[in-house]
Amino acid sequence: MRTDITNILPEECISYILSLTSPTDVCRSKLVSPVFRSAADSDTIWGKFLPSDCYDIISNASSSSSSKLLTSSMSKTQLYFHLCKNPIIIDNGTMSFGLDKATGKKCYMLGARRLSIAWANTPRYWRWKRVPESRFSEVAELKEVWWLDVKGTIETKILSPNTTYVAYLVYKFSSSRYGFEKKPVDLHVELGESDAGRTFRIFLDPSANIPQFSREREDGWMEVKLGEFFNEHGDDGKATCSLREVDNYTLKKGLIIEGIDIRPKDSR
Amino acid sequence: MSKVDMAVIKPEMMKSYIWLQTADGSIQQVEQEVAMFCPMICHEVIQKGMGSSKNYAISLPQRVNPAMLSLILDYCRFHQVPGRSNKERKSFDEKFIRMDTKRLCELTSAADSLQLKPLVDLTSRALARIIEGKSPEEIREIFHLPDDLTEEEKLEPLKNTTDDPRIRLLNRLYAKKRKELKERQKLKNIEVEEERVDDRSVDDLLSFINGDNGVLIDGFTDEIALLLERIVKFSSVVFASHVSFSTSMPKYLLFPCSHLGEVREFCFADSKGIKNSKSKKKNRRRKDQQKNTSANEAIKNHNKEPNGLNQVCHSAEVGQKVRAGVGATSNLHDVKDDIFDNKNELDDGDIDDEIDPALKEKIDREVEDFARRLNSDWPERMQEILSFGHERKPVHFSLNGNGSLRRYANSEQR
Repeated sequence: MRTDITNILPEECISYILSLTSPTDVCRSKLVSPVFRSAADSDTIWGKFLPSDCYDIISNASSSSSSKLLTSSMSKTQLYFHLCKNPIIIDNGTMSFGLDKATGKKCYMLGARRLSIAWANTPRYWRWKRVPESRFSEVAELKEVWWLDVKGTIETKILSPNTTYVAYLVYKFSSSRYGFEKKPVDLHVELGESDAGRTFRIFLDPSANIPQFSREREDGWMEVKLGEFFNEHGDDGKATCSLREVDNYTLKKGLIIEGIDIRPKDSR
Repeated sequence: MSKVDMAVIKPEMMKSYIWLQTADGSIQQVEQEVAMFCPMICHEVIQKGMGSSKNYAISLPQRVNPAMLSLILDYCRFHQVPGRSNKERKSFDEKFIRMDTKRLCELTSAADSLQLKPLVDLTSRALARIIEGKSPEEIREIFHLPDDLTEEEKLEPLKNTTDDPRIRLLNRLYAKKRKELKERQKLKNIEVEEERVDDRSVDDLLSFINGDNGVLIDGFTDEIALLLERIVKFSSVVFASHVSFSTSMPKYLLFPCSHLGEVREFCFADSKGIKNSKSKKKNRRRKDQQKNTSANEAIKNHNKEPNGLNQVCHSAEVGQKVRAGVGATSNLHDVKDDIFDNKNELDDGDIDDEIDPALKEKIDREVEDFARRLNSDWPERMQEILSFGHERKPVHFSLNGNGSLRRYANSEQR
């Protein structure tokens, strides 16, 4: 006769075993049986999957009210899933922090204010505005410019170790867009001081027969991959990601930038 | 086992045997240094002086049967020898755990009851490797588990575990309410002309929200809550979010902030300030309906906490512009996601019995629409709502046949 494992192993043991797998496996195991389901909700599991400095990061978050509530009122399980869906704003409102659900690794988005955008403070060329669909208080809107140079950097030491990260520019076009169908832009990512990095050249607003590299995100913005890098121990200094078009012959208009999203490869 | 522990042991116990008894009654003696490797046995010997003779054999936990005990003792016998290298130990371990899954489970359980952590780790990791990457079906196969989750449980979204039991209860109550509201709505007399423009727009909004076209929005963050508080403060129009229980109390709306796990109560008063009596009435109604005391507590708590808020929410300067809090807009885009995740909470077994599927679908569609509209034209809508009492004609939000939100210039309402 077949005996049920759950008669042999107490639920705590099952939880411990599950904590040695991965977040995806744990979620999947909820479909196995009622005991597995219950075991999978244990705080010991999800506490393990949270990054070790998670609470430190939250306590440094900008919006004191909700962030303090996050740490005090949520169980580890709730906190894990909350951070996967609701990135919190940190660092004076310039960055957001969240988790990749499948792996528990850290994800960051650098807000437009944190990027180095050439001519951004000249009202003739760029405008800063509030839009409700952005997680940040301001996004940068390109009025017109010839020299387009958008750059963001992130310290590898705040990222999860042993992870390949991909950087995406999060943007939209406004109704007055111009120039991006005429001239391709250069997308570039490099790691640390000595890395030359890789550059891709694509049309951000391709016409009919030209491949489209951008795709729509769940939050309604578009994103285009700038490049990727591998973070081993976090001691490689900064990763630099950029988008440029600086031939100086083509006028460009109508690009709205929310920020640069940096997340583990193969995550949503 | 530490050196300190060894020092405590009486000399005559050295190089002797410990007597152990398993749950089936059989007794055996084991070399002391081997048995003492298990913390549980060690504790029994040292703290309670057991195990020194057959009559005082240590009773092992039920999960340790003789076969498992034998395996565990093999493990202890090997590892308690201090001189072994890490490589040797690893090699032993790898061979040791080669057994069928069932025995591995039994061994884990037995080791756990004896508090032998290194062995628990070893076996647990082995089992984790077995589970990793497998589908639920495969896992059931391996562990011989029956497929006894209900269909609904399988369909429930796996990601969202921010299930506050109070919110779930409130959702169920809400579902019951919706049915009642459906009846009531048919009887309700719709007054087009009213003296107080403010009231009418409030009522219309509310009946839209409270009626069979109820909306369910979940997962509001604290920032949204603050924004809404501010809106409510400066206008006489209520904004609904989440669950609305207010049947006879059209001026009350409840909404849980899922991560706070509590429900905030927003009320809007007309200038007469009827709210207090309504609040009591509501409590009574709640108590009547609920057999569950925990729900009572939940509602009571909610009434206590936001009383400060209630004072604030008087219909004050209508049309005053609300400056949305800077942080408040940041999480709007979450609303839509959260709606879709939490929508399925309605698929709770209990609720399904009470709502007919057509209504549920309708509500789901309305929620989608509401979310979309919420996300796209929030600032414009707020402006509109706020200027209700002012220059413009009141705008009525209603649902047309296919569930999309539509504004009617006239005051016809479904």
